[in-house]
Amino acid sequence: MTHTLRQSGTLLGFAAILVFLTVQLPGTFLTTQNLINITQQLSMLAVVAATMTIVMVMNDFDLSVGSMASLSGIVAAVLFSMGFPVWFGLLAALGVGLIGGLFNGFLVSVLGILPFVATLGTLTVFSGTAFLISDGKTIFGRDIPAGFSGFARAGIDINNVKVPFLTLAALAVIAVCWFVLEQTNFGRRLYAIGGNREAAYLAGIRVKRLRLVAFALTGLGAAGAGLMYAARVASANPTQGSGLMLDAIAAVFLGMTMSRYGEPRVMYTLIGVLMLGVLDNGLTQLRVDSYIREILVGLIVISAVATASFSKQTRRV
Amino acid sequence: MNHLEFRNICKSYGSAKALDGVDLSLRGGQVHALMGENGAGKSTLIKVLAGVVHADALTAKVDGIEITLTSAQAAQRVGFRFIHQELNIVPQVSVAENMLLGRTFPRRFGLAVDWRKVNARAQDALAFLGADHINVGAPAGDLNTGDRMLMKIAAAFVFDPVTDERAVLYVLDEPTAALTSAESELLFDVIGRLAATGAAVLYVSHRIDEVLRICDSVTVLRDGQLVSSGPTSETNKAQIIRDMTGRDVADAYPTAAAAPRPNLIVGMAGVSAGPLSDITFELRAGEVIGIAGLANAGQSILLETFMGLNPITSGHAQLQGGALPRSPEHAWKRGVAYLPKERRSEGLMLNMSIRSNIALPHLTGVQASVRRERQMAETLGRQMRLKCEHLDQPVAQLSGGNQQKVLFARALHGLPDLVLLDEPTRGVDVGAKYDIYCTVREASSKGCAVLMTSSDLPELLGMCDRILVLQDGRQAHMLDCDGLSSSDLLSYFYAPKAA
Repeated sequence: MTHTLRQSGTLLGFAAILVFLTVQLPGTFLTTQNLINITQQLSMLAVVAATMTIVMVMNDFDLSVGSMASLSGIVAAVLFSMGFPVWFGLLAALGVGLIGGLFNGFLVSVLGILPFVATLGTLTVFSGTAFLISDGKTIFGRDIPAGFSGFARAGIDINNVKVPFLTLAALAVIAVCWFVLEQTNFGRRLYAIGGNREAAYLAGIRVKRLRLVAFALTGLGAAGAGLMYAARVASANPTQGSGLMLDAIAAVFLGMTMSRYGEPRVMYTLIGVLMLGVLDNGLTQLRVDSYIREILVGLIVISAVATASFSKQTRRV
Repeated sequence: MNHLEFRNICKSYGSAKALDGVDLSLRGGQVHALMGENGAGKSTLIKVLAGVVHADALTAKVDGIEITLTSAQAAQRVGFRFIHQELNIVPQVSVAENMLLGRTFPRRFGLAVDWRKVNARAQDALAFLGADHINVGAPAGDLNTGDRMLMKIAAAFVFDPVTDERAVLYVLDEPTAALTSAESELLFDVIGRLAATGAAVLYVSHRIDEVLRICDSVTVLRDGQLVSSGPTSETNKAQIIRDMTGRDVADAYPTAAAAPRPNLIVGMAGVSAGPLSDITFELRAGEVIGIAGLANAGQSILLETFMGLNPITSGHAQLQGGALPRSPEHAWKRGVAYLPKERRSEGLMLNMSIRSNIALPHLTGVQASVRRERQMAETLGRQMRLKCEHLDQPVAQLSGGNQQKVLFARALHGLPDLVLLDEPTRGVDVGAKYDIYCTVREASSKGCAVLMTSSDLPELLGMCDRILVLQDGRQAHMLDCDGLSSSDLLSYFYAPKAA
């Protein structure tokens, strides 16, 4: 009973928020167009949060995703401005994400540096690199090819509703993450590492290699999100991804309050992402000051996590 | 002499009765054993005495005066002292700090901690235990398992002028589970001295031989109810087992079904690896070799060598004609199964399901198959007589014995060629122990070679064909178990290697 109460607390909160916004914003909140807008606004965060879940399953986390997103946008934009074709810019940016993620994984699993310290370090490294190669300037206008930014504006018509490509891309990434974590033995092993790393190692799991791969996937996801962001605003600047990291971690934590034993699950992370996105959208429409919005979002995350841990029966320390 | 009376102790968790009207009567100067299988209510009873769990009903009297046990502080005030089974230590701080943890540290000018006094009090307590070889200034994490246990025990004897009334009751919760025979002897001596101070001693243990030897009386619980209580002189081993399990358990060890087969599984010749040296033995299919010695003579490290955790530096070692595995992953693939010593920290993912815990080393292919995992867990669980509600239950909810069975199920899937068992029955109750012995026997009769360590000498003698004795990492003796007694074996721990 307490279990289900604990698990459903966050969902009840989410439902309350939805009801509140529907009542407060009649005719503007609960419309197809607004909901589609929300999913588009959320698509970058969803990608980062879903791939962040992969490392958080192992009790690790990655602070560098935000600056990696910025860096990947910059890398693509700089290559575009030098006249390289779109596909080359995309591949190069994703390659940077993969290499950056592998570097994180190398620091954490091979050198054994705490994820907090290692990824805090690479956060500044990636961010510095982004400033360096962009000269600290925003790259925009004619430097960004229409084929790239057009992607973000286009979509597919389903029943006369235009579903944006960004939303579909995010859904695809979520589906892949869900499959990898829930349906493959790779995912089983990651959860085992999160459950007890030492025991997993002694049971024959290649802990080092798996952590390396997981961090690489998270880096790749961050780079993808950075490209989506750059396409959506048709420009790239070296700080545009920085807000993603805290929101992504918050979304995974919100999700963890809903799972049975407090472990991260991609689908619950998605609910966390939706909560943050809906709140942001609703409060903006209510013309709540953006600073107050930040305070509210922070308090909501804390209260969800606190409710979940207070109602755990065996909490002693 | 104190007289402690506890009447009608009841405690329910929801509809489950953990304790159902249990009476317990303890006399100062006497050692009283509390026995029962896991889940019988021993832990709950101890928690009630410690004031950590509030009984639904309880009348407690010390020398006829009623007392209340509503908090840990209240229990401390009336003079109850507890020594717990789990070795929870803070590894980075000193032994002395660990021993005084939770007490008021002596101060200078009421402000700064008086470290000299802290160390002196810890030193005195250790000296009382006869364990003054432990350096109170060293980080507790540097101590080996036996010394950690001694440290925890000594912590109960630290003199505290502020809160200390005289102790009237010492409760020892399975203190010998992690100790070797020699260390246990040290502890028995201490227990005698505790009783001599006039305090009552409540001694919780799974080891019946130990209880019969050092205890004056014994109380047995089963399913939360009192089954028997009386002097140890009026009972015996078979009776206690019957009381604990409610049935007759063939007390001894299941007999070996077949003689070892000729095919060689492990061959070691003059191997040195890390702290180990002179390791020379041959292990054949179906054979069980025990590894024995004083605490930390290298028993666990010898097992770890076969998991690739302790690379060999010289000598010739082979596993089925090949070199030893390079890593745990490699070892499992080569048919080596391992049951680590620390069930909770090295063996299990406590929050994960029984099914996942069993299947972990045996996952193959890319896509996960819940169906295959469930089949595997079901078959092995039945074979192990695993008691659980369902296979998706997290292992944290199981008793120690059943958790150990989960690890056995993991190890024995697919019938490995070599099974490494590090203290396979530690903290496991009698009934589950017997199941585990049968499993080991069955596996070895099917051709598994077994290497096992144990600090329980009768267990080694009952289960093994031969016993390898280590002294400081060096192989000193290889003994045939036929006709060997526990005391013979113990004397070989000290006897120098024959030239």
